[in-house]
Amino acid sequence: MSTSAGAADRAGGADRADADRAAGAAAVISADHLSKWYGQVIGLNDVNVRVPPGVTGLLGPNGAGKSTFMKLITGQLKPSKGGVTVLGEPIWSNPDLFFRIGFCPEQDAFYERMTGLEWVRALVRLNGLSEKDAADAATRALTAVDLMEAANKKIGAYSKGMRQRVKMAQALVHDPQLLILDEPLSGMDPIGRRKTIRLIREWGRAGKSIIVSSHILHEIESMTSNILLINNGRILAEGDVHQIRELIDEHPHTVYVRAEDPRRIARQFLESDDVRSLKFEPNAVVVETGKPDQFYARLTDMAASGEFGAIDEVTSPDDNLQAVFQYLVK
Amino acid sequence: MSPIHDQSYRHYAGGRAAPGRSWAVIAWAGIRSFLRKRAFMGLMLFSLVPFIVRAVQFWISSQYPQASALIPTADTFRQFLEQQDFFVFVITIWIGSGLIANDRRANALQIYLSKPLMRTEYIAGKLAILFFFLCLVTLAPALLLVLIKIAFDGNFVFLRNNLFVIPAIVVGSLLQVMLASCTMLALSSLSKSARYVGILYVGITFFTGAMFGVLYAITGTSRVSWISLGANLSQVVDVVFRLKPRYATPWQVSLLVIIGLIVLSISILERRVRGVEVVT
Repeated sequence: MSTSAGAADRAGGADRADADRAAGAAAVISADHLSKWYGQVIGLNDVNVRVPPGVTGLLGPNGAGKSTFMKLITGQLKPSKGGVTVLGEPIWSNPDLFFRIGFCPEQDAFYERMTGLEWVRALVRLNGLSEKDAADAATRALTAVDLMEAANKKIGAYSKGMRQRVKMAQALVHDPQLLILDEPLSGMDPIGRRKTIRLIREWGRAGKSIIVSSHILHEIESMTSNILLINNGRILAEGDVHQIRELIDEHPHTVYVRAEDPRRIARQFLESDDVRSLKFEPNAVVVETGKPDQFYARLTDMAASGEFGAIDEVTSPDDNLQAVFQYLVK
Repeated sequence: MSPIHDQSYRHYAGGRAAPGRSWAVIAWAGIRSFLRKRAFMGLMLFSLVPFIVRAVQFWISSQYPQASALIPTADTFRQFLEQQDFFVFVITIWIGSGLIANDRRANALQIYLSKPLMRTEYIAGKLAILFFFLCLVTLAPALLLVLIKIAFDGNFVFLRNNLFVIPAIVVGSLLQVMLASCTMLALSSLSKSARYVGILYVGITFFTGAMFGVLYAITGTSRVSWISLGANLSQVVDVVFRLKPRYATPWQVSLLVIIGLIVLSISILERRVRGVEVVT
């Protein structure tokens, strides 16, 4: 395909993304009182959620229910209660929908004696592509995940990162509207992670909706700001990470202040009702406050007054998703 | 036009087959993978030996009327199918034991069933692989023998006198193939080890046969033949070829056992072929 055709495709992708956004309420995934039990154990507990088009991160610790949610939205598990629709259609017993979905499972799922190209080509045949189209599509997908050089090597000889990428290639190969990636960065080296994150962002820009799960929050943060937080089978929070941050304002907010005279500053902090605890560290004080806005305003005034010596550094671990997550899953 | 192609993401613009044909993809991929194995092809060629011997027999009987002992009857075709039992057994184990077990070991079911593929299509595709090769050693050569007989005779007298032979070959072969395919596929879905599945199949076949032998020795009657997988098949196929059943068990009972085994196998497949194994 020529460069101009590629540009046309990009334009097509942008159009599709625009159409998706215009649809607005047309959530790519909609769960309604979705529950799943494994015997006496509950995997997912009465989840109501709408996932908008674009890239969405599904976050949660191990055992939170991420994989159960992934298996429900890929139609591999039947809900015990409630329902789930994907791209506007029920996913359970609806294999035709998989023409529009690509799924990359967390576990390895290979015939190690096959080459990456053979494996991807064989799988895309299940999407109704002819032998020739399948070969072309497999080549294109392996190129997209930067694995063409190793395409003719046996999968058994692949590194963990290459295995993850070939799994993503099979998810992507039939050009689905929705990509569901279960822990795609798991086991990858830092360079592989960076490349994969870049790819996911690029696919998002190309108009695909992507759901990507992880328990490592900064990875998700680098792909999208739209997240779903899940723990103990429940959705804890959803939406923009900053909106979620607002939701947890009633939770204590931790601020690290490195200063010339931390004890003097600490005495001043103690006069305020919103300060819940103080902890000293070398040349610093770590403050837990219930009203971060008031706290920051007061800190700015203190620094401006010059009465408390130099304030060298103010950081908040709460600025990253890890802290947000830790608050919410407490 | 730039010689360097665009490296960014491109949407697929090709055609797609209508849904519902994925079973053929699975079947064809499986058939091709076995056709590439030399040892397996050797076995397939070896399975033609009884066919060649029968063809020679037909030729001699047509050329030398004095060799009356070699003149084929409907029973000859029944005997031919019975001779092929050995190849059916070996091919069923060789091909069938890994058909689902290997997919389970590789976690491939999860990937397969995230494609536009129904579980029934997956099972049908896998069954078709076994069906294809088993028919190649039973149905196809048996029907070919009928044609050879007609060709060597130069007339249709044999066929006119034995009109039931072709339907009998079809029904008898399909029963044989269906029973072997369904039971083996069900066993293959129970394990992740093809070797274990193979041993299980051999065990079941010989154990049920041995049980029948022991009970026959104790009771002195063959009314308990329904306990043996092979005896049931022999019993029903005898009836299909209008021969006297060889055991005292009513052939209807044997047929019910065969149907029951096929239904049980399908039920096992329905429960076991899933993208995700739920352990509660």
